[in-house]
Amino acid sequence: MCKKVLVVDDDPDVRSFVVTVLEENQFTPLVACDGVEGLEMIQKETPDLVILDVLMPKGSGIRLYHHLKTDDTLKAVPVIMFTGIALRSFLKSQKALEEFKGEKVPEPDIYLEKPVEPQDLVDAIKKKI
Amino acid sequence: MPANKILIVDDEQPIVRLLSMSLKSDGYETFSAYSGEEALDVFEKSDPDIVVTDIKMPGMDGLTLLKKIKELDPEKEVIIVTGHGDIDSTITALQYGASDFINKPVRDEALAIALERAKTKICIREQLASYTHDLEEKVAEATKEIQRKSNFQRLLIHSSHDAIVAFDQDWRIVVYNPEAARIFGQRGRDVLNKMTIDDLYTSQMARYFRKEAKNKVNHTDLPWQEMILETRSKNKMPVRYATNVLHEKNEFMGIVNFFQDLTEIKRLEKELIQSERMAAVGQTVSGLAHYVKNILIGLKGGSYVVDVGLQNNNMEKLNTGWQTIKKNIKRVADLTQDMLAYAKDRKPEAEACFPNDIVEEVVELVTDFAASHNIHISRICDPGLDEMMLDPRTVHRALLNLVNNAMEACLELEDDTRKFVVEISITKGDDGSAIFAVKDNGIGMDEETRTRLFTPMFSSKGGKGTGLGLLVTKKLVEEHGGTIDIDTSLGYGSVFTMRLPEQPGISRNGNNKG
Repeated sequence: MCKKVLVVDDDPDVRSFVVTVLEENQFTPLVACDGVEGLEMIQKETPDLVILDVLMPKGSGIRLYHHLKTDDTLKAVPVIMFTGIALRSFLKSQKALEEFKGEKVPEPDIYLEKPVEPQDLVDAIKKKI
Repeated sequence: MPANKILIVDDEQPIVRLLSMSLKSDGYETFSAYSGEEALDVFEKSDPDIVVTDIKMPGMDGLTLLKKIKELDPEKEVIIVTGHGDIDSTITALQYGASDFINKPVRDEALAIALERAKTKICIREQLASYTHDLEEKVAEATKEIQRKSNFQRLLIHSSHDAIVAFDQDWRIVVYNPEAARIFGQRGRDVLNKMTIDDLYTSQMARYFRKEAKNKVNHTDLPWQEMILETRSKNKMPVRYATNVLHEKNEFMGIVNFFQDLTEIKRLEKELIQSERMAAVGQTVSGLAHYVKNILIGLKGGSYVVDVGLQNNNMEKLNTGWQTIKKNIKRVADLTQDMLAYAKDRKPEAEACFPNDIVEEVVELVTDFAASHNIHISRICDPGLDEMMLDPRTVHRALLNLVNNAMEACLELEDDTRKFVVEISITKGDDGSAIFAVKDNGIGMDEETRTRLFTPMFSSKGGKGTGLGLLVTKKLVEEHGGTIDIDTSLGYGSVFTMRLPEQPGISRNGNNKG
């Protein structure tokens, strides 16, 4: 049985790229276009890994990440942040959210800054599953 | 009244006694002497205010006594008692400074009058003395105060950070402080009271101030102005200066010039402008780099998908990848076009066109996108709107930009319950200009976004905007002589109103419809 990997990104170009990489490496791709859809998908399909964009409409990646890491049933799902913004800015916004919600979350397992070579993405996924 | 002590002198003792009694009863203190010599003795001991003396006495007579008393104290009043018709003695007595005469036999009333007169004299003299004394004190005080004030002013002028140069009515330099010496490079002792305006200022400046002095009879203050000051030694520096033309009762007294050296301020200003420009360049470059990076991500992703399609002979992958590449090629093209449009000046090329038609064109272009994102596009066209002289390319481009922005503003508001509407309306203004309004019920803007709207490379669309769209729109509109206004409210939507006046047409194939 192939491992299921969910890609959450509002950019169709990024989705088709990641889906192609996943297919080429014998993973089962799942897609979601925004944070809300992404959470629904995670709850329904329980993927083995989530590749998550940061800047998205409807529940940003920042919020979804925070949700995943504070939900006991979803905490174990590994997450690769896959984004155009620098890690530093992401951590800053994550910290702001922590202060706001009062719960600490761990730093993302893997943080990839676009553009990413297909092989690097594959290596990152394989490191986690 | 203090003048109360009277010395009575007569060789006839009964007269002395009689007068003494009479005066005592009037409240005087009296002293008696029966000869000139005795009188002098008593005078020195008892210091009377008034002496009443007979002229004819054995030994020292009255006139000699008068003379001696006046020598001792010229302020003492001496009343001379004379016999009838003794004119010579009277004249001598006057010369010696007698204050009054009474005839023998001495009558009380005559004596009383003479005493009163003497007392009044003493009193006036005392008042005069005290008044003079006061006056002297006041003058001394005033002199001290003037001295103090003048010192204060001198120090003030001396320590002023402004250079102060003043000229008297003959244009001689009478005030010249150290800052002036610094600016003009001439020592105070070489300048003060030695030089005139023509020696210190350039001939052009001197001419200017002479003219000002003549012109500003009723209006003496000249506002602060800036200029490049040139000294006679050919040094140049930026200064701020003010001039006061001084008058006293409409009489020209001279002028004062104040100079402030602006060298340092100008240098700082220049530095600031430079650093602001560098910051703007940095911002522009980093914004641009971010956008180009996004295009690169698309191109790389697309080419990978194409590679996979080729390897596996998968048409679907090939197609998906190729679409991605084409889309990003278009983004490069758009960016280039925006950059050129922003960088280059372009004169609008007006031609007769129907604004309603342009609206239709734009609506047609965005219909598919709007439909797939559940945005309703409505248009309110003015059917009475006739042909107008506008540059249709400007209108098309600007309107398309605004409509695209409006749709994106709708998508940004993550509200599934709202029915998004973008409304394009066109009317003719009172001044004959075409007014296009694009209204959306999308996310709207807060004050910060609103104020940064026309900043280069500012984009609220994450990496998706070039940050040039509105800037280009504004530039196109302004080149067309028009204006663009924004009314917005965060969470409720925005209205962009573009007002384009008609432009004189350019001749096309000799057929100028303007």
